[in-house]
Amino acid sequence: MADEIDFTTGDAGASSTYPMQCSALRKNGFVVLKGRPCKIVEMSTSKTGKHGHAKVHLVGIDIFTGKKYEDICPSTHNMDVPNIKRNDYQLICIQDGYLSLLTETGEVREDLKLPEGELGKEIEGKYNAGEDVQVSVMCAMSEECAVAIKPCK
Amino acid sequence: MSSVFQRYLALANQVLSWNFLPPNLGRHYIAMFESSQNVLLKPTESWREALLDSRVMELFFTVHRKIREDSDMAQDSLQCLAQLASLHGPIFPDEGSQVDYLAHFIEGLLNTINGIEIEDSEAVGISSIISNLITVFPRNVLTAIPSELFSSFVSCLTHLTCSFGRSAALEEVLDKDDMVYMEAYDRLLESWLTLVQDDKHFHKGFFTQHAVQVFNSYIQCHLAAPDGTRNLTANGVASREEEEISELQEDDRDQFSDQLASVGMLGRIAAEHCIPLLTSLLEERVTRLHGQLQRRQQQLLASPASGSADSKVLDDLYEDIHWLILVTGYLLADDTQGETPLIPPEIMEYSIKHSSEVDINTTLQILGSPGEKASSIPGYNRTDSVIRLLSAVLRVSEVESRAIRADLTHLLSPQMGKDIVWFLKRWAKTYLLVDEKLYDQISVPFSTAFGADTEGSQWIVGYLLQKVLSNLSVCSSEQDLANDTVQLLVTLVERRERANLVIQCESWWNLAKQFASRSPPLNFLSSPVQRTLMKALVLGGFAHMDAETKQQYWTEVLQPLQQRFLRVINQENFPQMCQQEEVKQEITATLEALCGIAEATQVDNVAILFNFLMDFLTNCIGLMEVYKNTPETVNLIIEVFVEVAHKQICYLGESKAMNLYEACLTLLRVYSRNNVGRQRADAPAEEEEQYQDLLLIMELLTNLLSKEFIDFSDTDEVFRGQEPGPAANRSVSAADVVLYGVNLILPLMSQDLLKFPTLCNQYYKLITFICEIFPEKIPQLPEDLFKSLMYSLELGMTSMSSEVCQLCLEALTPLAEQCAKAQETDSPLFLATRHFLKLVFDMLVLQKHNTEMTTAAGEAFYTLVCLHQAEYSELVETLLSSQQDPVIYQRLADAFNKLTASSTPPVLDRKQKMAFLKSLEEFMANVGGLLCVK
Repeated sequence: MADEIDFTTGDAGASSTYPMQCSALRKNGFVVLKGRPCKIVEMSTSKTGKHGHAKVHLVGIDIFTGKKYEDICPSTHNMDVPNIKRNDYQLICIQDGYLSLLTETGEVREDLKLPEGELGKEIEGKYNAGEDVQVSVMCAMSEECAVAIKPCK
Repeated sequence: MSSVFQRYLALANQVLSWNFLPPNLGRHYIAMFESSQNVLLKPTESWREALLDSRVMELFFTVHRKIREDSDMAQDSLQCLAQLASLHGPIFPDEGSQVDYLAHFIEGLLNTINGIEIEDSEAVGISSIISNLITVFPRNVLTAIPSELFSSFVSCLTHLTCSFGRSAALEEVLDKDDMVYMEAYDRLLESWLTLVQDDKHFHKGFFTQHAVQVFNSYIQCHLAAPDGTRNLTANGVASREEEEISELQEDDRDQFSDQLASVGMLGRIAAEHCIPLLTSLLEERVTRLHGQLQRRQQQLLASPASGSADSKVLDDLYEDIHWLILVTGYLLADDTQGETPLIPPEIMEYSIKHSSEVDINTTLQILGSPGEKASSIPGYNRTDSVIRLLSAVLRVSEVESRAIRADLTHLLSPQMGKDIVWFLKRWAKTYLLVDEKLYDQISVPFSTAFGADTEGSQWIVGYLLQKVLSNLSVCSSEQDLANDTVQLLVTLVERRERANLVIQCESWWNLAKQFASRSPPLNFLSSPVQRTLMKALVLGGFAHMDAETKQQYWTEVLQPLQQRFLRVINQENFPQMCQQEEVKQEITATLEALCGIAEATQVDNVAILFNFLMDFLTNCIGLMEVYKNTPETVNLIIEVFVEVAHKQICYLGESKAMNLYEACLTLLRVYSRNNVGRQRADAPAEEEEQYQDLLLIMELLTNLLSKEFIDFSDTDEVFRGQEPGPAANRSVSAADVVLYGVNLILPLMSQDLLKFPTLCNQYYKLITFICEIFPEKIPQLPEDLFKSLMYSLELGMTSMSSEVCQLCLEALTPLAEQCAKAQETDSPLFLATRHFLKLVFDMLVLQKHNTEMTTAAGEAFYTLVCLHQAEYSELVETLLSSQQDPVIYQRLADAFNKLTASSTPPVLDRKQKMAFLKSLEEFMANVGGLLCVK
């Protein structure tokens, strides 16, 4: 079968985005707007004149910075969609504003910053109180950031 | 002087707009009448002398003639006349007097408006006068006035309708803010519908000529020059700027549905004229469209870079065809919800009347060759006109399909594409496989061309399927068009007889295979369209087939779904690769398809579909664990459960329902384990995700609870032979699942989340349901949960919308009754209800509240009073003792005495409760506003 999907290859060399027809995007999905990976928070269509063709109006929020981006394009166009990955790591310690995280394979990563804002304070507080927490890390277009925490089971 | 006169007119208008209500009407009715905008004049007999005196109406006509140039006063005087035009009721001693009055009035009206040029400010008023006359006076009174007078009246109506229609079109071109002529035109067209709907009082053909005129003028206003006057102003053709149209703008077929329904009805009355007219207008435009597209294609071939030439010619053609198809659709068929629409009798008669002159074979040839010009077929004039009109639309459709094949999609109008499939859907519902049993007599051309077991119907089904495929292959970018297209597909398979034909078509099987393989272009379709497509494919599977074919069909449609899904999730390293984009897409597509399958549930297929879906649900729970980090997937998984519960729970027997309850419970457990204590980055998008999860979970719980209200499963017949014996060991009940769910939701709910109105309403709906259905479970709740539930109720009563407040009040009654039953005076619920007594008491006596809530509040109040009589007396005492004004004190004391007089001592008994509610109404009327804190 020609259209069979190959699940066996790993993601080495996988591109960080893939194209998708504008009309097939969905609210709460992801899209690249102005070069930034965004979560689609609003999607509407319009047309020029009664017999015109549809255009899609997208509003997205940068998944890392929270900044808002907008774009409008013909609905037949392809847009880039970022590959999004999420991983849970156990928090080992916080040092100089960086997180030390234990991966599933037992390696330690120390390249992720403690996020700013509420979540960062929360992580720090839990860590200082000696609680065991898991940190969810989201990765897209070779950028990574902690996005959530939950107590270890 | 003139301002005095204006006051006089305004006063007269007020008097004539009085509501003459019978004295003993309930408060609810009074409120209803007071809120209604249009009051018809129905005075008592005592007004006979004043109003039936013909000099009164003459006076108003004279007044109007004198002041009509002053637009303010003219509106008042016309309103007075409109009120007089609605005169009815006991004021008329007999029918004769009513006839005299009407004749006199119409004479006055005609004298006033004939021969004058109507001012803009008069249009709406005049149309109200006419509309009132036609609505209020019975048909037999209308026909009893001198026939010449009646004819002049109808002619005048025709003239006004056409003229207002033209002015309305002008208003649209000039983009006026205040569309007075459009409003007047709407009203007159509506009056026509009222007038002709009950036409047995008039001799046959009486309205035909008038209908022709109104119909022609409607068509004329909507066609471009030279046939019509669209966009024409006094200074020539207005060049309308191409404006941006948002998706929220209603389609013309909905926005103008009332107008189109009237025009369609008039078209049926004058079928002899209108059907051939529409046919020739459409056929002519098909030829032109075809020519235009060919020319553009050649231009493109000659110089591919020529790009966008002027599109005006094409756009004009599209707009013409758009309106012609809409009118044709409304003329040929009705849109009915749920029931089978019938071929309109006028159309049937028209076809039968001419069937002797018709050559059936040529008719079938015209129908079966949409690619050829109708006039190129020998003997084309001896064909059934109704079928020829249909075939004219098919010709438009064919030009469109060919343009798609020639890669000219960018030149086509998606709007016209929508019109075509909308028409075909409407037509197919009514005409395709026409059921002869439903009609007294049936037209031979119809039964030959579209009857059951005819080549014609088989051909059309094949053609429609081709159309659907052609559209879906290119219109993935036009969501509305794709949606209308799949709706046509659903229409073709939702009735068994049609589905039987559909599954004989090869293209149907191709569609099924193509969709199952998830290859382009079908996988570009938006998710709602894909769901509907899946629904259609499943519905088609329940058509009549031999066992082998059926087996093969399901192998093509459903099995690939299962196989692909299992192949993905059973891979050894699935948890590691689950975040890969292809894997995620595969999972998303499967979940979407499951929602579509659930949507296809009907009573006769639920057994098969439930078993099929149940296997998936179990696996979906595993997915919840794997994708716990991926909110959009979690969301979709919950949605699958919501859909299955929504569509299927009402049909499930005890043990199947149990399976579903168990699955839902496990789902909730996993969700809770992964989300309690979870904190996310405070981006607005994250909050919305949580909101959506919670909303879906509440929907799921409400759906599960709905089984307590709506249950079609009493015999369990659909599952016969599959039940593993009586479910003696009930492990889970709906109550357990729902209460568990609530337990889970409550800690996640926050006052911030309650600011989402949909979420708030859904939440309160759910807890009210629970209190109503399982009041006995409430006292058994864990303390925390119990407390937050009571707090939610209090919050709902005091600081939410009135709708939520009403829900909370409704929840109190069963809770108080539960307490009374249990007879424990120290339980937390008992103490809580005591607190609620004070809340409801304050609400009724001290606060301004919505009167609609009095009933719900009253019921809750009475039950609470029964439960806590001593506390109630105390509340009354405290309130009275705080009054300093002896008059108010006395009034209040009397009112409270009267309130409980009929129910002392208060007991939980329906009769007493009703008596109390009645006294409460009096109590509210008497002292309701007395203590309101301002």
